[in-house]
Amino acid sequence: MTPALELRGITKRFPGVLANDAIDMTVRTGEIHAVVGENGAGKTTLMSILFGLFPADAGEILVRGEPVRFSSALDAIRAGLGMVHQAFRLFPTLTVADNVVFREEPTSRGLIDRSESIRRVGDVAERYGLAVDPTAVIETLPVGVLQRVEILKALYRDAQILILDEPTAVLTPQERDKLFEVIRRLRDTGRTILFITHKLGEVMSLSDRVTVLRDGRSVADLLTADTDPEEIARHMTGRDVDLDQRAPAHQPGEAVLEVTGLSATGEHGRKAFREASFEVRSGEIVGIAGIAGNGQNELIETVAGLRPPDEGSISLNGADITDAEVLTRRSAGMAYVPEDRHGVGTSHRASVWANLLVGHQRDPAFQRKGWFDLRAIRDHARSLIKTYGIRSGPIGAPVSTLSGGNLQKVVVAREMSHGAPLLIAEQPTRGLDIAAIEFIHDRLVRFRDGGGAVLMVSAELSEVLALSSRILVMFDGRIVADLDPSKVTEAGIGLYMTGAHEDGPDG
Amino acid sequence: MAEQVTVHRPTLASKVGAALSHPVVFSLVFAFALGWLIVYLTGRDPGFAYSEMLNGAVTGSGLRNTLGRAVPIIGMALAVSVAFRSGVINLGGEGQMVVGGLAGALVAIYTPGPGELVIPLAMVAGGVAGAAWAMLPAFGQTRLRLPILITSLLLNYVARAITGYLVRFHFLDDSVTLTSTRQVPEIARMPRMPIFGGVSLSLALVIVLVAVAWVVYGRTVSGYETQMAGLNGRFARYGGIQVERQTVGVMVVAGTIGGIIGTHMIIGDAYRFIDGELVVSGLAWTGLLVALLAANHPVMILVAGLLFSGLQIGGLAMQRNADVSWRLSQVLQALVIVAVASRLTFGWFKRRRTGPSEGELEPAAVGEV
Repeated sequence: MTPALELRGITKRFPGVLANDAIDMTVRTGEIHAVVGENGAGKTTLMSILFGLFPADAGEILVRGEPVRFSSALDAIRAGLGMVHQAFRLFPTLTVADNVVFREEPTSRGLIDRSESIRRVGDVAERYGLAVDPTAVIETLPVGVLQRVEILKALYRDAQILILDEPTAVLTPQERDKLFEVIRRLRDTGRTILFITHKLGEVMSLSDRVTVLRDGRSVADLLTADTDPEEIARHMTGRDVDLDQRAPAHQPGEAVLEVTGLSATGEHGRKAFREASFEVRSGEIVGIAGIAGNGQNELIETVAGLRPPDEGSISLNGADITDAEVLTRRSAGMAYVPEDRHGVGTSHRASVWANLLVGHQRDPAFQRKGWFDLRAIRDHARSLIKTYGIRSGPIGAPVSTLSGGNLQKVVVAREMSHGAPLLIAEQPTRGLDIAAIEFIHDRLVRFRDGGGAVLMVSAELSEVLALSSRILVMFDGRIVADLDPSKVTEAGIGLYMTGAHEDGPDG
Repeated sequence: MAEQVTVHRPTLASKVGAALSHPVVFSLVFAFALGWLIVYLTGRDPGFAYSEMLNGAVTGSGLRNTLGRAVPIIGMALAVSVAFRSGVINLGGEGQMVVGGLAGALVAIYTPGPGELVIPLAMVAGGVAGAAWAMLPAFGQTRLRLPILITSLLLNYVARAITGYLVRFHFLDDSVTLTSTRQVPEIARMPRMPIFGGVSLSLALVIVLVAVAWVVYGRTVSGYETQMAGLNGRFARYGGIQVERQTVGVMVVAGTIGGIIGTHMIIGDAYRFIDGELVVSGLAWTGLLVALLAANHPVMILVAGLLFSGLQIGGLAMQRNADVSWRLSQVLQALVIVAVASRLTFGWFKRRRTGPSEGELEPAAVGEV
């Protein structure tokens, strides 16, 4: 039987990097084929070439045995490919049906036939068991549903080969399980699924076959049934990896951060979170779990001094800092690794040293009466680069020349270098590869073991479970649970995250 | 990790290529080439026109005039760059210059005493008035959330109207037909330096201001904090920089420089405050263009300011001697800026065409190789 898709010798070079190096891959019809690899391994490049977003320098693509040459995504769609991007591409103010039929609208007498498009989209959704209301407006829908809309878009165009780029990154465990059901059902109708991920658990539970990319090359092509996560991880990183290390429990000390009855307003004048009370003690990592948009980010911003509280109090090492300015909080011992490392944690066009300095530009170690001690600043930057193994060019170069993992190391190094007793870490490993995740986890644990208090927010439940001494779950602006990680499962936390805690197995 | 470095001996062609790939060099070449074509199409000799322009800008009294005109251009460019570098879009340079100019002129005209006292006093008055005028849009933004971009621009018209009223109804010199103040007495005029045929002392002042800006940006906490705010406001707030308070400070500095330059234009150049003259000269806007061309770098502002000044002065000579309108100078200035600005667009365009804009490629270019 002819394979659904064949890639032969796909090569793509960007200035200074060989992103894809003669990649061969065969995807059989009706299989779920996982493509795994660390960041920078070339997954996204390969999929972009496959979907016609830009041309390969060499190599050929065969769809059902026929060589094809895509010059745009439209060509790829015509050849029966469909892609669900990591970032959704939907019109927020239009309905599901309008989004799905966009550019393929059913018409009657030259006008768009709305009711026909609603009917057709409803049909497709029903046939594949995708629970979506075609008349719902996009901006009112949760992320899990948006993803189904993206899948609908591909199916509406009768895509035979569906490419999903890191589809679970934004989903709760429950939404993820539903997505997997949909994917399996699609396979059972004879469709072919290419599933890009770097989560090994998903590879094992979902895929039939897995291709591993490393440094732009295809290094392994395995039958999922014949392999295990350790082998895949070894191919991904080129070395042995310990996947399941849980941080051992630890005896916490004095309360470092105390938050009492804190509330604050969000972007649209709505209460972002209310009556948050908790404490973080030295020697413990408190993890906050929750689906994005349930107030975690605003809570952290308020504690960090970037958002004014409406009521409540915050104290750090016994001192009230509720209304203190950012620099005061920092000198009182607060370090903060923000969620948005590109927009908040670093400044792209500023130099590496300037990025390593921020928050401490007024420390006596670096200035006297407003004049910089440039030597001290440079020495500090160089020593951080060395200690944290940041791969960087000259320290005067813009920080935008660093990779994502190294950028995060810049933020972590800066925040950990001043001996602050409290570290707030928001999504500390999002988007990083295995090696960088291991590094940052190790640093967090070491910080805790040195008597530091850590408040961590993460969308990655496995991370929350692996590192936390206690887990707080946020739903709809409230802290709905305070859990012991040794006594809960991912699914149990997931139920709290969706507000269904009454039926929770651990609640 | 030791890296192997291969040393290339650059050929002339590769040197030219490298220079051309610099956006500013490219934009200059582009502008002069297009200007050449324009002159050629009007049936005149572009080579002759350009050589007359160059002669007019640097020979004889041309050099003195170029340096003289460079003073306000560089000064206003510096004023605007101080704001831009901190992320404050101050388009009110003109108003700050006009208000400062009138205040400085009045002090110079009506204060008795020796020049050593009156001239610095006039400068201080001009600076303070410019700063006060600049604080209006600054507080408008920090207190009332009115964007500086708009208020500072609109206040230019208000400044023109207020100063015009004051001159016409309170300080009018009846002996001339102009709407003008009296002349600044000889003793209160900015002295000239005995170099390049007598250049105003203000040139030295402007160079000092440029040097101060350079040092502040390179070596001080304030320079660091303002630049961080200009590059990324959210990052700056995260780093404990008080962006609102800083906005006011930056506007005060920009307004002070604007006011000083306005005062110079009266006591060092025109010797009387004529209603509307500082506006018609377009100096504030030329300064803005220079700041753009120099990417707000103080030392580059010095260079670009001299270039634009030379273009303007040389353009007059070109008109006299080569019968090509001095407007060609304005065309060239505009072309340089258009090229500098669109160069960004080319880069953006190229990225869109040849590579992905997001995802894992950019990091890989550094991290994994």
